[in-house]
Amino acid sequence: MLRGLFSRKKQQQEVTLLAPLTGEVVALSEVPDPVFAQKVVGDGTAISPTEGVLVSPLAGSVTHLFPTHHAIALTSESGLEILLHIGIDTVKLKGEGFTPHVKVGDQVKPGDKLISFDLGVLKKAGCPIVTPVVITNGDLVADKRVVSTGSVRAGQEPLMLVVVKGGAS
Amino acid sequence: MIRFDVHVAAEGGLHARPAALLVNCAGQYQSRVTLVKDQKQADGKSILGIMTLGASQGDRLTIEIEGADEKQAAAALKELFDKRFES
Repeated sequence: MLRGLFSRKKQQQEVTLLAPLTGEVVALSEVPDPVFAQKVVGDGTAISPTEGVLVSPLAGSVTHLFPTHHAIALTSESGLEILLHIGIDTVKLKGEGFTPHVKVGDQVKPGDKLISFDLGVLKKAGCPIVTPVVITNGDLVADKRVVSTGSVRAGQEPLMLVVVKGGAS
Repeated sequence: MIRFDVHVAAEGGLHARPAALLVNCAGQYQSRVTLVKDQKQADGKSILGIMTLGASQGDRLTIEIEGADEKQAAAALKELFDKRFES
């Protein structure tokens, strides 16, 4: 029976996403932006950061870095696309307060520094600081669960486990 | 196939929110939706694909739609751009 279980799961791959920020885990439904709260962008979770350093939750490559450096998309080795969107309405800051440490095409490891940002600038501009961490290609996801609640430390603790459908690659 | 040009009026270009709304709209139709900017193409049903086009406010894009419900999809997408992604 165990053997059967293994062969069935062989095609699938489990990906662990580490917390990309130090702060408090917040349900996506509580994010004050309907496109995130209603999972239009994708499903996942969010973190309200207490420190302004975003790190990579997984091993992969930088697929997109917004010109305004307020959000970044990564693609894992298994093809999972993760969007990390620092704060809400932060596109209007036009890059102010954000310092990227990577560029498109870079390979990253879990815990690698991606973007530093100034929480003070976001707060002063009236932008909510809660940061959605979402999977933008949910059709690749067989199963997932958020494994952390409360406080998390960036790059230190798992935030979400995702089972990626196999076969295609 | 239907092909038409749109003007990106949304502030900040096609960033996460407009891209998500576009995919949500395109996803309601069976037709294949492709966005073209300069030489780059993106699947209109992929959020990351649209974001990586890097369309800025003021840019012009070409949208190509092909499929059984292409007329309805074209009308819905035109409206989305006309309303600057505000509902």
